[in-house]
Amino acid sequence: MIEAHELTRRYGPATAVDGLSFAVGEHEIVGILGPNGAGKTTTLRMITGFLPPNEGRVSVAGYDLFEEPRRARRQIGYLPENVALYSEMRVEEYLSYRARLEGLDRTAARRAIEESLERCLIADVRHQIIGTLSKGYRQRVGLAQAILHDPRVLVLDEPTVGLDPKQIIAIRALIRELGQERALLLSTHILPEVELICDRVLIIDRGRIVGEGTPEDLRTRLQGATVLRVELKGAPAGADDTLAGLDGVDGVRPHPTEPAKLLVECATGADPREAIFHTAVDQGWVLLGLEEERASLEDVFIRLTTHEAERAATPVSEGFDGEPAEEEALADDDPPEADGSDDTEQEVIQ
Amino acid sequence: MNGILATLQRELRAYFFSPLAYVVLCFLLVVNGIVFALILSFLNDPMSPAGRPLDLFFGGTFFFWLVVVFVAPVLTMRLLAEERRSGSIEVLMTAPVTEGQVVAGKYLAALLFYAFLWLPTLAYAGIVAYNSKIDWGVVGAGYLGILLVGALFLSVGTFTSAMTSNQIIAAVMAFAILLGLFAFSLVQYLATASAFKDALAYLSIPQHMEEFAKGVVDTRRLVFYVTSTLFFLFLTSRALEARKWR
Repeated sequence: MIEAHELTRRYGPATAVDGLSFAVGEHEIVGILGPNGAGKTTTLRMITGFLPPNEGRVSVAGYDLFEEPRRARRQIGYLPENVALYSEMRVEEYLSYRARLEGLDRTAARRAIEESLERCLIADVRHQIIGTLSKGYRQRVGLAQAILHDPRVLVLDEPTVGLDPKQIIAIRALIRELGQERALLLSTHILPEVELICDRVLIIDRGRIVGEGTPEDLRTRLQGATVLRVELKGAPAGADDTLAGLDGVDGVRPHPTEPAKLLVECATGADPREAIFHTAVDQGWVLLGLEEERASLEDVFIRLTTHEAERAATPVSEGFDGEPAEEEALADDDPPEADGSDDTEQEVIQ
Repeated sequence: MNGILATLQRELRAYFFSPLAYVVLCFLLVVNGIVFALILSFLNDPMSPAGRPLDLFFGGTFFFWLVVVFVAPVLTMRLLAEERRSGSIEVLMTAPVTEGQVVAGKYLAALLFYAFLWLPTLAYAGIVAYNSKIDWGVVGAGYLGILLVGALFLSVGTFTSAMTSNQIIAAVMAFAILLGLFAFSLVQYLATASAFKDALAYLSIPQHMEEFAKGVVDTRRLVFYVTSTLFFLFLTSRALEARKWR
């Protein structure tokens, strides 16, 4: 449905997207994952025809975006990152304006409006002025606008950004549903989201694809070994060597910031916590703390992309969205949503 | 065509729903009312030269130009600058419409609203017709002049609105260009070479308006206004396309 071939886009001297090629098949939900400034939005803008690439080609539903731009765009529904709607219009008015813009005739427009109002669960606010709607509702109006003309391709740029957890759950469920019937390309920098929604993931950094695969592939590739944080009173000498000798322990290193603590790397699948406790008792150490330092997917992801960035060592380092650095932006991701509510979300969606 | 009509309808709605439109309408009514009253009292003075009130009303006074030069940028400043500021241009330009259609729709909405602003002045013509004889052909020519001058001025405003995402900057740029166009016509009084003088006279907007107010509809003037309006609209659509390459 979507074929992008060697897309390159430069903003002045900075290369935002650098020779990106990928394809999205019918009924497939593909997520573009990357830190802020990785070129996600630029890529999506090129797919939707808002920005032309400096090099490369895009075809959507079989139409080349440059040779038959209007045919191709008719097949695309697009929800930009900051859903900008005309705030003085009422929801229904706005949708009927969009329907006309898409070239639907009167009866088709009326049917399409009813259907998308219903699907996006905004029928109750149809007469409300858009400016008075909450962010979640506005996002849904944006989605309604995107699916109005029943496009074969849906492009969503960070569809859950700025929503509260409940709204995120609802939007994700809706996205999954919409993806059953069409090709869907979405961008995000939230890893759990990718796992919940997408069939396939492209990880991009500095405008290049640095990883591709199903979310399961991704998880196994990204997830490192479990690390335990061990705090011993008085930091007894030789403790690190002793612990390193235990079964199921791959290595021991001092905690980078807290000298009283040791980081114990576990072998895959092993849980040496009990052994550590008994060792401490045998040695007469006072065990003050023993906890799993869970490398969250986010942490691993940061490591991956930062690492890639350093290896690339290009002078182009600033984010072009106005974001100063990737690390910072990623750190902003809502941890409660990433940890606590994951299970409930999974339930709701299934 | 769908693209033009959908945009036109939306923009017209936006005009009539915004308070700015009513402020402009009031401003225009107050200024025009005062000007018309002044003209009538001036002509009623037995010492003053003979004249027809509407000739003087259409472009005969400084106020007319003040109004048109001010109102055009205010009407157009929002058109494209606001789309760019809010980001709604992204949804707009990914719909199956061309830049030209968007510009045409928005411009026509501005032009229609501008025409609407002048509608109440028909009452002045009515007043004159009620109290004395009136030549409707001359009045028609006057309104044609207002429409043509407005069409050009609004196209300039639409153009500057496409250049920036700041409405104020768009309005000020349009205002500057319009003042420039206007001041240009005054240079003819300084020119000595007759060919140069004639060329400037051809471009003199106040002079054109004076002719229209007298009922003279010169084809050259029509060509001048239509082509220069289309020229600015063409520039607008190019400016909108240029966004892609920045």
